Amino acid sequence: MTFLRLIVDNIWRNPLRTILTSLGTMVMVLVVVMVLSILTFLSQTTTDKARNIKGIVTERWQLPSMMPLAYATSLKEGGPHEPGDIRIQPKDAMSWSFYGGSTDPDPKNRTMNTILFAFAQEPHTLLDMMDELDQLKGEDKAEFAKVVEKLAQNKKGLIVGKERLKMLGRQVGDTLKVYSFNYKEIDLEFDIVGTYPIPRYDLNASMRIDYLEDALDRWSREHKGQPHAMADKSLNLVWLRMNDRDTFNKVSQQILTNPEFSSPSVKLETASSAIGNFLEAYRDLIWGAKWLLAPAILFTLSLVIANSISISVRERRMEFAVLKVLGFRPWQILLMVLGEALLVGGLSGFVSAGGTYLFVNQALGGLQFRIGFFGAFLIADQAWWWGLAMGAGTAFAGSIGPAWSARTVRVADVFAKIA
Amino acid sequence: MNLVLAQTPPEGPPSPLARVMEALRFIWAHRPEELAAMLGIIVLLAFVSRVPVSYNLLNLVARWRTAALTALAFTAVVGLLVVMLAFVNGMHRLTVTSGQPGNVLIMSDGAIDEAFSNLATADVPDIENQAGILRDDENKPLVSRETYLIANMPTPNPPPGRPKRRFLQVRGVDDPARSAIVHGRKLIDGGRWFSDAGVSELPDAGPNDAPAIEVLLGGGIAREMGNDRWPDEAQRGRNPDRLETGDTFMLNNRTWLVVGVFESTGSAYDSEIWAKQSLVGKMFGKENYTTLAARTAGPKEAQTLRDFLVKDYTKSKLAAFVETKYFENLSETNTQFLIASIFVTVFTAIGGIFGVMNTMFAAISQRTKDIGVLRLLGFKRWQILVSFLLESLVLALVGGLLGCAAGSLFDGAEANSVVSSSQGGGKFVVLKITVDLAVLSSGMLLALMMGFLGGLVPSLSAMRLTALDALR
Repeated sequence: MTFLRLIVDNIWRNPLRTILTSLGTMVMVLVVVMVLSILTFLSQTTTDKARNIKGIVTERWQLPSMMPLAYATSLKEGGPHEPGDIRIQPKDAMSWSFYGGSTDPDPKNRTMNTILFAFAQEPHTLLDMMDELDQLKGEDKAEFAKVVEKLAQNKKGLIVGKERLKMLGRQVGDTLKVYSFNYKEIDLEFDIVGTYPIPRYDLNASMRIDYLEDALDRWSREHKGQPHAMADKSLNLVWLRMNDRDTFNKVSQQILTNPEFSSPSVKLETASSAIGNFLEAYRDLIWGAKWLLAPAILFTLSLVIANSISISVRERRMEFAVLKVLGFRPWQILLMVLGEALLVGGLSGFVSAGGTYLFVNQALGGLQFRIGFFGAFLIADQAWWWGLAMGAGTAFAGSIGPAWSARTVRVADVFAKIA
Repeated sequence: MNLVLAQTPPEGPPSPLARVMEALRFIWAHRPEELAAMLGIIVLLAFVSRVPVSYNLLNLVARWRTAALTALAFTAVVGLLVVMLAFVNGMHRLTVTSGQPGNVLIMSDGAIDEAFSNLATADVPDIENQAGILRDDENKPLVSRETYLIANMPTPNPPPGRPKRRFLQVRGVDDPARSAIVHGRKLIDGGRWFSDAGVSELPDAGPNDAPAIEVLLGGGIAREMGNDRWPDEAQRGRNPDRLETGDTFMLNNRTWLVVGVFESTGSAYDSEIWAKQSLVGKMFGKENYTTLAARTAGPKEAQTLRDFLVKDYTKSKLAAFVETKYFENLSETNTQFLIASIFVTVFTAIGGIFGVMNTMFAAISQRTKDIGVLRLLGFKRWQILVSFLLESLVLALVGGLLGCAAGSLFDGAEANSVVSSSQGGGKFVVLKITVDLAVLSSGMLLALMMGFLGGLVPSLSAMRLTALDALR
């Protein structure tokens, strides 16, 4: 206890130096926590799971994937075509069609504030199959379930992400007309029935697939039975949830060998693999952030702490000599100096990471940094101990040298100089 | 490199925000000049200070450990900034050099990107014969008819943890020689254009094998796909660093034969493969053209043609872009990465500034007697301030130079990225990390700013010491 008190007293011997070191630690830990949160999220989304696997069925050879809507029914069941084939349950399947457009009919006036991309899907799939929305619990789930129910009751309903709503200058309850650019002459009116409860979908929107299908049918009727150019290309993705890897492999084989899906041919891959393909374009950036950016910042942080501690040790040589005279052993002096650094570094790192977590997640609603189709990133729950570990770790690395030097102070040399 | 910032409104006086943005753009565009000015000021200060610079330098040498640690911190921060800015610079150069100033890209109405365009085949001949489009020696319009699509290609030997597929940018063209003229591209020696049929028989093909699809590769994608080979296979290949003329790969259950590789131009087209439009369009279900690239006499003529096609052409509704402006619009990711780089650097630099402050406060507290003597010798307060500030700036200079040198090691390295517009279009690109004078100037300016800000407060405290207090 006395030792700990000694450490605390020593830290406040030079409050300015301690505060500057602490502030430097906090600022740099803040940046690294943000970077690590983004990297961790991306890593989690691209890591294959062993159980509860989500797969995506897409066109095999081309991007964007555009399959006939006629594929949807069979694909949502997992493409069974032989006796004994696995059939996926409706609650474990979801189809997406992408409907994009602008709120301004003139293409020349198209900006980020007029554009809308919506997933056309069945309402129940929002709670059953959408990533993270299917993990909602308690009040969040109950609230969003009401929004989904409104969409189920209103064919023209539209759920819009908060950030997208802001950019469009609209709010829940407003109506919206969208002039489509991928479904020519299929311009639709919507009633905004709610928003998503999590920042991941802040830039997205969800509409009812039957609303789009009806519009395609209506266009065909108005054009003497001629099918719309997109009629055979309107199914973009089918999501399937499977229990384990074996089931995934069997369903994948079913789909690959099903003669129904030959023109165009399709493939099933895990969601993590599909996302990984998209993120491949960013692989050098991600590598740089992981192996250059974060280590460089931590290195700088350890230098700042090393500098501070070595200055402190140099100024306290007499004190260490006196402590030795009083009976303190070298290892105790080493521990004392290390303890000072670890206390300042660890505490600063913890406070910084915790503050970042609360501020970014609660006040800002996530880091608004678009990578691919990810709009916002939350600070990871592990950030609290990351901060502590980074602060303490860099403090240890930076102070071990000066602490060793403090340990080896020779009483005779110090007092000889004074004499 | 320009920031893509808010535009001033076309009419009326500029708003305060627009003025601030304009000022920032000006500052950003003149970094080398600002660095030269700052260095000039430092030299001038060294002369007028009268406190011998050798005093500061010797003190740094005497406390070499602390000085080295501080300088290393500068090195790390500046090196980081140089690498990040060089990456953004590479992206910017790629978007700027990708377009020909006299080209107009013509797409279907409402298309914001080639991937979303679908031109009616019947409209093409009339568009090609519009005034302003240059003609070749055979009086044929210099227009490249193209179908741009993205193919999903399984990668043959993905390293562990890497995706098993790649998105391959395929451009189907009718006449590769004409398209190459329009886009200003040349084949590396040893290559040829693909044939009219776009296919050829492989020497070891069986009687029932489909002929190989002839393809031209951009330099960047040739290197990328060359990495798909096993190491010993690559060593045995015609070129260990990339796919070369005569090499083959599989896509969509067909063999593709490389008949030529384009010279690298540092443009987005380096990441594409070109093949016969009639083959790839049918193969991937995109039989219409997505783009007509038309060559005009120059930038003015290109703008005139573009305006005509968008506003006055009545036979069909079109979207048209001067090619250089089309690629400039794909700079939203540039801006995003630039802002992220600045954010990271500013916060890391703040941490570094606190480190410098620590160093300088400690230096001053150990040299209060020196300060007292200097005051007694007649040196004025501001000269003491300048002296200690110079000491901090010397540390910054040394650390900054080392940081720039470290960052420069990445110059020329290739990296993958995406360039995209704010409206959803985008291209996968292979860019070269480019360290130039502007990037190095940014690094040195950051170092000097850190040195200045970190040394200012301690120097002010040194300046305020009276001779008596210092010597007490």
